[in-house]
Amino acid sequence: MDIKKLNLPSEVKKLLEYWRLIVTLLFLVIIMWSSIFQISTEEVGVVTRFGKYVRQVEPGLNLKIPFAEDVYKVPVERQQKQEFGFRTLRAGINTQYRESSSAKDESLMLTGDLNLAEVQWVVQYRVDDAYNNLFKVRNPQNTLRTISEAAMRQIVGDRTVNEVLTVGRTEIGSKLQELIQQICREYSMGIKIEQVVLQDVNPPEPVKAAFNAVNEAQQEKETLINQAKSEYNKVIPKARGQAEETIQQAEGYAAERVNNADGEAARFTALYNEFVKAPEVTKRRIYLETMSNVIPKIGNVIITDDKGNNVLPLLQMQMNKKTGNDEN
Amino acid sequence: MKTKSILIGVLVIIMLIGLNSSVFIVQEKDQVVITQFGRPVGEAIIEPGMYFKLPLIQDANYFEKRYMEWNGDPNQVPTKDKKFIFVDTYARWQITDPLQFFKRLTNERNALSRIDDILDGDTRDFIANNDIEEAVRTSNRVPESSDTEIIGDSLAKIYVGRDSIQNMILESANKQTTELGIKILDFRFKRINYVQEVQNQVYERMKSERFRIADKFRSEGQGEASRINGEKERELKNIQSIAFRDAEMIKGKADATAASIYAKAYNKSSQSRNLYSFLKSMETFEKTFDGKTSIFISTDSELYKYLKKMD
Repeated sequence: MDIKKLNLPSEVKKLLEYWRLIVTLLFLVIIMWSSIFQISTEEVGVVTRFGKYVRQVEPGLNLKIPFAEDVYKVPVERQQKQEFGFRTLRAGINTQYRESSSAKDESLMLTGDLNLAEVQWVVQYRVDDAYNNLFKVRNPQNTLRTISEAAMRQIVGDRTVNEVLTVGRTEIGSKLQELIQQICREYSMGIKIEQVVLQDVNPPEPVKAAFNAVNEAQQEKETLINQAKSEYNKVIPKARGQAEETIQQAEGYAAERVNNADGEAARFTALYNEFVKAPEVTKRRIYLETMSNVIPKIGNVIITDDKGNNVLPLLQMQMNKKTGNDEN
Repeated sequence: MKTKSILIGVLVIIMLIGLNSSVFIVQEKDQVVITQFGRPVGEAIIEPGMYFKLPLIQDANYFEKRYMEWNGDPNQVPTKDKKFIFVDTYARWQITDPLQFFKRLTNERNALSRIDDILDGDTRDFIANNDIEEAVRTSNRVPESSDTEIIGDSLAKIYVGRDSIQNMILESANKQTTELGIKILDFRFKRINYVQEVQNQVYERMKSERFRIADKFRSEGQGEASRINGEKERELKNIQSIAFRDAEMIKGKADATAASIYAKAYNKSSQSRNLYSFLKSMETFEKTFDGKTSIFISTDSELYKYLKKMD
């Protein structure tokens, strides 16, 4: 069994002469291989020696004692998420979702007033304590799912369906985050809840129409009130203006009336003051002046004499003259 | 020489096998009970690290040290108020005394089965002793509602609450598990829901409730609109009548003032009264006589008396 006696190519023979060296080198490579390890940027490495935790190492190249030490890599910087009530089929610009019946079971829950609501939500979390995450709870991911479901139902169970669907959304989100975080701490899961986002919150399909009817009725109510208000606003300011107009007109009338009275009274008084000095003459003068103004305007003036009978012919003549004028 | 080296080789291999079966490693997540021919010996090993045992004779039995899951079988349970609901529960548990655990339950599967018995039974008992609200609700918090909506949803008063029921079940269960070497750390209702047949009834109730609310909104809207309309009518009448009243008062006052001014001027003496009626007559003549008027005037009148004779 001498190697030198075998009929082998000279290169192989040469190689075999250095077999000790090769074995040593191979051994060294294996040692190196199992003592150097890499931790990527989003991870930390948890190192145990004979099963016992010894240290935690940061991203980069690290060394360990071969065969005695083991490394667990935990992605502490990576934000992870769990979806409830739906599943993202394909994330992208147009993300597609799927709602299966098992997901429906996750989302359907009882509200405090014993109604049903479908709530979809997302829990975003991060491992913030690698040691606890590895060694305190078996299957922390699943545990977190269960906790989230129980916590959500506890919170929704304390609210009315109306709160859940409308006003309480943000409050439920923050309360849920608090509660999940608290339970995670109790379990020492080493998980930090970054955010809880409520997605669609809907009444169950069979009662959706009824809920919409409430919304419609609410809109209808607003519309009716707005219409009445607009009618009010159309009529009342106009009436105010008209009232103001009436008052102003009355004021105008009043001013006119008083001023006229003042004027007439002054005129009369002035005349009267002169009249008393020569009543007979003044009166006659006024009478005659008036008559001389009035008579020309009158169509027929017939002057009669008690003693004469010459009225009729005169009248006749004047009538003829008048009709003759009309004919022309 | 040759047989000696072979013997050494065999011995080394045997030693290695012996070493391999006598050295064992306890991980952070593990705890170990050493058994000798099936009987546990010594204390359980809880601290992780490297340990030794007698090869071949002793066995290392590994148990989980971490919190473990337990999920209840969704149970159809009647509540005290005779409502059938599904209760889906979960718990976290831990082996606190591996030695006891090994003696009583041997392995995880047996343990889970025992926990099933204990927790499912307790759940049934406590749910059946309480109204459905007590299992759903945690506190008597007052629901907040936005001011635009007075929907009138309300929460019934509860006396026990979800937290308390959960805690009572947990307490009761732990009393039964202490001698099994396990501890239940947390017990919660994961899902509580109506059974399918009831669910449809609930939907019908929800519908009628919502329609009632919708009707209320509608009638509130109509009522409010009528109120505004009435207010409008009242305001309108009020504005118009006040304007009329004020205008009449202003006019009346002016009339009175004018009358007093006239009276003061005309009513100074009998002469002034005389003059006034004379002037008024004259004015009337001027205003009323026109081209259609015919008038007979006697020569005896003041105006034409000189027509007859000049005296």
